[in-house]
Amino acid sequence: MRKVALVGAGISKFGVRRASYRDLIWEAGKACFDSVAGIKPRDVEGLVVGSVMPERTAFQSHISSMAAEALGIKPSVLSARTEHMCASGTVGIRYAYAFIAAGLADLVMVLGVEKLNQPSSDEAILNMGTGVDREWEAAFGLTAPPCFALAAQRHMAEYGTTEEQLGLVGVKNHTHASKNPNAHFGKGATLEQVLGSRMIASPLRLFMCSPITDGAAAVIVASEERARALTDRPVWIRGTGQALDGFQLTSLHEDYAHWPALKRAADAAYTMAGVRPGDVDLAEVHDCFAIAEMIAYEELGFCKKGEAGAFVAAGRSDYGGDVVVNPRGGLIGCGHPLGATGVAQAAEVFVQLRGQAGPRQVADATIGLTHNNSGMGEHVVMIYGSEPA
Amino acid sequence: MAGDPVTYFRATDPFPLESADFTKLHEFYARLAAGRLSTTRCTDCGRTDWPPRGFCPECAGDAFEWVDLPAEGTVHAFTTQDTGLPAGFEGPRVFAIVKVGAHRVFSILLDADPARVSIGQRVRLKPLAVAADPKGNPRWLPAFTPSA
Repeated sequence: MRKVALVGAGISKFGVRRASYRDLIWEAGKACFDSVAGIKPRDVEGLVVGSVMPERTAFQSHISSMAAEALGIKPSVLSARTEHMCASGTVGIRYAYAFIAAGLADLVMVLGVEKLNQPSSDEAILNMGTGVDREWEAAFGLTAPPCFALAAQRHMAEYGTTEEQLGLVGVKNHTHASKNPNAHFGKGATLEQVLGSRMIASPLRLFMCSPITDGAAAVIVASEERARALTDRPVWIRGTGQALDGFQLTSLHEDYAHWPALKRAADAAYTMAGVRPGDVDLAEVHDCFAIAEMIAYEELGFCKKGEAGAFVAAGRSDYGGDVVVNPRGGLIGCGHPLGATGVAQAAEVFVQLRGQAGPRQVADATIGLTHNNSGMGEHVVMIYGSEPA
Repeated sequence: MAGDPVTYFRATDPFPLESADFTKLHEFYARLAAGRLSTTRCTDCGRTDWPPRGFCPECAGDAFEWVDLPAEGTVHAFTTQDTGLPAGFEGPRVFAIVKVGAHRVFSILLDADPARVSIGQRVRLKPLAVAADPKGNPRWLPAFTPSA
C-alpha cells in the first residue's frame, strides 16, 4: 500500500451558529483550502462527506454532490457520503485513506458537517433519537445520555470511580476549549461549576456532556508523492482500526464499563502504526460524556482497567502528564456536530504535529491518536505521525 | 395549502409502525396487545433472540416460531433521565435493562419511584399504549413495572 498523509485542515467556528448547513460547508472548506498553498478546489479529485442527519435538519439529501458544488470541487475519482452516526467523519477519512493507499486517488477532501440546532430545541433533541434503534430503543424516548449513564454507574460501582473524577474530565476539557477560538464554549469551568450543573442522566451532569452543536471541519488527504510536493510537514496516517460489538444496548458487553470493541480497534491501529500507547503524545478521544473519555484511557492502554479516575485526578491526561487528551477541548468543550467531530479531531492532530497549535500546543508532539465512537460498542481509531510508519 | 388540515407527517412520529402493512413483526405486537411478551425462535437450530429477528444470525434460517418469554424479569441496569428528553417524552424517566429469562430487554419502568429502583429488583411486563398510528391502529410498547 502507498503511504498517505494529511496536507491541509480547516474548521468552522463550532457552536449554536447563525448559519445554514451550506454556510458551514463554506466556512470549513475555505479554511481548509487556506491552510495549504498550492491547492485550489479544481485540484481535488475526490470528496467524502461525513454527515448524519441533513435529511432531518436541512431537509437535504444528495449530500456529497451538493457539498462538492459548494466547495468548487468536481470529483473525478471518488464522491461519497459516510453516515455512521457520531463516527461519520473518521469513517470518511478511512475511505479516503483506502482509496489513496490503493492507488485509486491522489488528492481527496474529507469534510464533516452538521447543522443540529433548529428553531425548536425540542426538535433538535428529538432528532438525536435517530442514532439509537427506533423500534426497540428510541420509541421509549432513549437518546445517548442514559446509555453512557449506565456505563458511568457501572464504572463507579466496579472501580470506585467518583463523581468528582468524572467532573475533572469536564473541567479539563472546558479549560482546554478556552484556548480554542473555534470551540463552542470558551469560558472554562471549575470543579464547583461542573458538579453544580444540572443533572442530565445520573451521574452525568450538564458540564460532563457534549452540547448540541453546529459545525464543520475539512482535511485534505494526499498520496506520498503529492504530499511531499505540497508541504514539508505532511502528517502521516500510520494506522487505523475499526471494530463493532453491537448496535442495541442489549447487544453489547453485559458490563457497560467494558468496551472490548474499542480495545480491538486500538490494537489494530497500534499494530499497523508500529507504536505503543506510551508513544502517543496527544489523543483526541470521543468524550461525548466524561465517562467515555475515562473508559477510553483504559481501552486505549493509557492506564490499566479501572484506573481512569486516578489517572485524570493525577493530571496524567493533561499538559505535563503522560498524554494530553483532548487539547482542542474535546466534544465537551468544542461541542459535537456529529459528522464534523471526527474530521475536527484529525484537524487538531494536523496542527499539533506541525507545531501550529498556538497556546494549546503539545510540546514536541510527533504521534497523535484520534478515537471516534458511535455508541459504546462501535469505535474507530486513527494514529498519525510526523514521520510515516 | 393554507387552511387545509395538516397531513400527519411520519417524520416526527417516534413510534414504529406495528401493523401487518408495515412490518413482518406485527404478530409480536398483536401478542403484546394481549399482554404477552414474545419473540422468535429458530426452528432449524433452536436459537431464541431478543428482539425478534427476520432470519437467524446463527444458522441464517428463516423458519421461526413465536415463543412467549417470562412475564417477569429482574432489573439488570437502570438510569433515570431528568432533563433533555426528546419532544413528547417527560422526565424523570427510568430506563432499564431487564433480564427476562436469558435475554436482556431494553425498556422503561412505569409507576416506579426512581429513588427506590434497585439492581435485581423484580419487574413485570406492562404493555404501554402509545399514540395510534396514522391509520388509527392502536400501538403498544413492551414496558415494565415493579412487581407487587
